Amino acid sequence: MSDYIEQISTKTAVSAQPSRQKPEFSRPLLGSLVGPTWVWLVLFMLLPLLLLLLMTFRTEAFNWQSWEFTLKNYRQFIDTPSYHRLLLRSFGMAFVVAVLSVISAYPVAYFVAFHAGRWRNILITLLIIPAMSSFLLRVLAWRIILGSSGFLSTFLLWAGVMDESAPVLLYTPTAVIITLVYVWLPYAALPIAVALNQIEPKLLEAAADLGAKPLASFLRVTLPLSLPGVLAAFLFVFIPTLGEYVTPALVGGPEGVMIGNIIWDQFSRALNWPMGALLSLSILLIILIPAGIVSLASKRSNQEAVPAYE
Amino acid sequence: MMLISGCSAQSSATANDEPLLILEWTGYEATEYPQYFTPFTEKYGENINDVVEYSFFGDDSEALARMKAGVEADLVHPCRSWWGLYVEDGLVQPIDTTRLSNWAGVPDELKELGQFNGEQYFIPWDWGYESILVRTDLVQDVPTSWADLWDPQYEGRLSMIDASDVAFIIGALSLGFDPWQTTPEQDEAIKEQLINLRPNLLNYWVDYTETYDLPASGDAWVVAGAWQDAYGYLLDEGYDVAYVNPEEGRIGWMCGYGIGTNDDNLDMTYEFLDAALDPESQANMANEFWYGVGNFDAIPMIDEQVIDLLNITDLDAFFNETVFYQPLTDAQREQFSAIWNEVKSSP
Repeated sequence: MSDYIEQISTKTAVSAQPSRQKPEFSRPLLGSLVGPTWVWLVLFMLLPLLLLLLMTFRTEAFNWQSWEFTLKNYRQFIDTPSYHRLLLRSFGMAFVVAVLSVISAYPVAYFVAFHAGRWRNILITLLIIPAMSSFLLRVLAWRIILGSSGFLSTFLLWAGVMDESAPVLLYTPTAVIITLVYVWLPYAALPIAVALNQIEPKLLEAAADLGAKPLASFLRVTLPLSLPGVLAAFLFVFIPTLGEYVTPALVGGPEGVMIGNIIWDQFSRALNWPMGALLSLSILLIILIPAGIVSLASKRSNQEAVPAYE
Repeated sequence: MMLISGCSAQSSATANDEPLLILEWTGYEATEYPQYFTPFTEKYGENINDVVEYSFFGDDSEALARMKAGVEADLVHPCRSWWGLYVEDGLVQPIDTTRLSNWAGVPDELKELGQFNGEQYFIPWDWGYESILVRTDLVQDVPTSWADLWDPQYEGRLSMIDASDVAFIIGALSLGFDPWQTTPEQDEAIKEQLINLRPNLLNYWVDYTETYDLPASGDAWVVAGAWQDAYGYLLDEGYDVAYVNPEEGRIGWMCGYGIGTNDDNLDMTYEFLDAALDPESQANMANEFWYGVGNFDAIPMIDEQVIDLLNITDLDAFFNETVFYQPLTDAQREQFSAIWNEVKSSP
């Protein structure tokens, strides 16, 4: 995951100051700079992950004196179709939300990068402002908008699009998708805007000189060069959506239950920490699939893109 | 030998200077709500922070996890379906009820709920219902039983509690089973029954504020598993609501205090417990939270509206009609959870 972020930032650095030399650090200085990050990673990421893995082989959450290991949880996971259904459903939801977020964020990012001019910084700030308010508040706001006496239903009723007997929009998987696309839009727009921003105007001019129509130069120059940003945006949305718990619980209704809700249940009601840990681990593994694909794809698009700069 | 006993006397004397460590839900702490523990808080007044120290939990599983992880709380306030696990794991000690002057006011039926292996391990302190809340102006017929929740007239308008244990109990009661003594065939039937509730469901509610908001907005006509405070709130706001007393009985939750196994500050602990059971203090809690109380000597001081809400005018009927939660084993919790997950993920 650090791969493409690094890529984006090095690209920025390259295009902004092409002649800048790599700074030299002395070893102790480097150590003192990187040290805290390593300690943080080991303490708050590596160790908890190991504990999570350990938990999946245990018979119960507590009683750490007993070191009885078992594959029972794995067998149970394989034998329980409801877990597979929920994982599949969560994967589908996360995919749809991520694709829709990217599609709706792209025009915003495009406008900010190419047409905003001196308004660019103000527009970026405006884009980020909703993200500064509480996540929960934004989800709850959608409950009011989507509710049966809410803004949207009242409007649709008034416009005659919907009659009184139509089902409420709230408490459906669609409500989860609408809410999450709204919530993630700024997170998706920013990496795309950064990627678009780095595109050399010269390249577009050259495309025009060679007779490319605007659509052709978008499809063959702009879009491929912005792909790293698009893929980053996709992951920024996909990863947190896969484990979502709050949004499906608040607006999802009976059909919108996701794996995150079941993990919560395993920890809080069933007191079955090993199974909760195993389900969490399965999400982690699922995330690796698109993350790996994205990492490979962005490497390739980077290799293709680099000669264009020279 | 002398030396050792001298030592232990010394250490227990030091321990007595330490404040009581109480593992508690937020909203019950004596430091903020002295009115629920009047004799104790009046006695210690401004020094209350020197005698009690609170540590909070958000749900029962968290409290149990912390106790099991070795938090040596002197008092803990879990709910009844979890009590058995505390006793089984040796996390609490038997309570000497002769040291509680207010114990006589607790009805025997409630006392029994806290007894395990012939000893009193928990002091019943607060309780309430999980039942059916209805917007009477929106429905055609008000449900009279848990089984009525399956009536197609509530299609898409039922908000169901998202809790595996409550859902299982509701499913069992609607089919006429004893929720705590089910056969595998009955478990299967309960699962099918809960899956069949799907067409009527608006959503699963997680947070209790949803049981206030959903009927108020009219999104939900019927809320299953709602507590009586939601009913009291909606009534006060002027909505047409009913809190059903289902034919199969209302589900009753009950929470109370247990004394930690390693409590070496027993004098102070019993003083606190006795204050918690003080009739006036209990009445304060009932009037503010609309919760039921452990000490029924408090009833004359409780508002009539709350008494009606709690249905405790006729005690025999109360004990007959209320299905109090029974302690659950680990295996039962896992099983309820597995069933509920299958219900929720059914296509």
